[in-house]
Amino acid sequence: MQRILMRKGIGYLVLIVMLIIIVAPFYWMVITSLKPFMSIISPTPSLYPNHLTWMWYVSAFIQFGFGTYIMNSVIVSVTSTIIVMFLAALASYAIARLPIRGKAPIMVILLMISTFPQVGVVSPLYIMLQHLGWLNSYQALIIPYTAFNLPFSIWVMRTYFAGIPKELDEAARVDGAGVLTTVFRIILPLATPGLFTGAIFTFVACWTEFFFSLVFNSVNAYRTIPVGIALFGGQFTIPYGTMFAGSTVAVLPIVIIVLIFQKWVVAGLTAGAVKG
Amino acid sequence: MRVSKLERKNAIAGYILVTPALLVIGLVTIFPILYSVWMSLNHIQSTVNGFQFTFNGLTNYVKIFNYQPFWQALQFTTIYAIVTVFIELALGLLVALALNQPIKGRGIAVAIMLIPWTLITVISAQMWHYIYEPTFGVLNFILMQLHMISSPVLWLGAPQLATISMMVADVWKTTPFVTLILLSGLQLIPADLYEASKIDGAGIWRSFWKITFPLLRPSIGLAALFRILQAFGLFDLPYVLTSGGPGNSTTPIAMLTFQVLFNMDKFGPGTAMAVTTVGIVIVLALIFLKALRTQVGEVD
Repeated sequence: MQRILMRKGIGYLVLIVMLIIIVAPFYWMVITSLKPFMSIISPTPSLYPNHLTWMWYVSAFIQFGFGTYIMNSVIVSVTSTIIVMFLAALASYAIARLPIRGKAPIMVILLMISTFPQVGVVSPLYIMLQHLGWLNSYQALIIPYTAFNLPFSIWVMRTYFAGIPKELDEAARVDGAGVLTTVFRIILPLATPGLFTGAIFTFVACWTEFFFSLVFNSVNAYRTIPVGIALFGGQFTIPYGTMFAGSTVAVLPIVIIVLIFQKWVVAGLTAGAVKG
Repeated sequence: MRVSKLERKNAIAGYILVTPALLVIGLVTIFPILYSVWMSLNHIQSTVNGFQFTFNGLTNYVKIFNYQPFWQALQFTTIYAIVTVFIELALGLLVALALNQPIKGRGIAVAIMLIPWTLITVISAQMWHYIYEPTFGVLNFILMQLHMISSPVLWLGAPQLATISMMVADVWKTTPFVTLILLSGLQLIPADLYEASKIDGAGIWRSFWKITFPLLRPSIGLAALFRILQAFGLFDLPYVLTSGGPGNSTTPIAMLTFQVLFNMDKFGPGTAMAVTTVGIVIVLALIFLKALRTQVGEVD
């Protein structure tokens, strides 16, 4: 009994220490975004805000055009996620259910691709995009984001499709339903967890992507949030207040989405663990 | 007869359904990688009419192998990958074991651990930059209040210290995710295995090494694989936190490649570096996957 109590005690202790370590830098970022300038660069910072100010939020949007970055990030991430889910649904249905050849090699190639470093494809993609006149555009990001996120979504959705009784779609097919009707009307509604998991992982990956965005879209009008924040610094001083105000706005919606759909994210991790 | 007709119809439908996805993946990943190999064998000049290629064999590879920063970046990336992945796995395992106890609040803990994963790395880098800031950074302030240091430390000022500071920021952001992978692995281990070993008189330590660790090895291997491969793409964090400095000391391979490609405008040698990186990653992935497969086989 004593032993169990001790183990529980250690469990709680580890938990609390870890949560403090995770939350503290976030707290510091949000607090800083609400502090007046003198307090931000004070060598004796106060650990909580004395006066609150919204001025950094105002300057982030009015002076630094943070709204543009947010809009670009939303357009690119949402479009990529929708395309990924659509293509992944079709492909994973075919791989899970239809009698095509080369399923095993396809899955292995997909797994290999999901580990490729982006730097390995950046120079040819840059040349291709330049050739097409697509540097500084939304499709310059949407197309690579789609390709890089498809493999994981196909893997996850295939796992979910495999768990749905075969009789369901076979019956629909024998009744004369077309393949597309079967996928979208019968299988997908039953595989929503897989759909959610794939969508959340794709969305977070697009929302946080920096490398391609930095390389392909160098014009301010097409920059996404990560690039906007990375290049925020002035020549001599870093405008921490404005930067953290923008960052707080960029972080909050994703945190809320992920907390709401927590279950599906954890399901994705389990799929990863089982997959291994 | 009818069944086989449906079968054939299904096969055709199947090929039509996989084609769009494979086409996008092929065009954006496989074709560029092959094209990279071709590019790395050329002298490439950017002109008004686009890029001009002149075949020059292995010249670019000879160039990068004689380029000292390349070896430095490779060494930095390797050490960085090994150290951070080891620390993340050790800490992650510790926390996952703690969370696997029958304690309350696990749901909240899991939720909070997801937050760093959703954080844009660039934002976390700026956050840590402000924390490490020598004159008004909160880290120096706290350590001085606690009398652990007597004067402000330049956390990003010297090669080794900058490397360690960067590793701390990385470990902070990634360990929660590793923890969640390991925790989901832990929860797959049947509880009756522990009951049985308890009856046999095994202690916590023994049952950890006899049951938990061997059964968790696939999850550990998977987390290690993803993290090591990610480390070879390490870019965002040094780009913002240290700009690769002081000197070249915190420049990883992906960042050096970026600089050679887009700052120095040397597409031939830059692409040769990229191809070398991909080669290393593929070899590492194959070794890991093979090791994982045999491990899973053993467990079964």
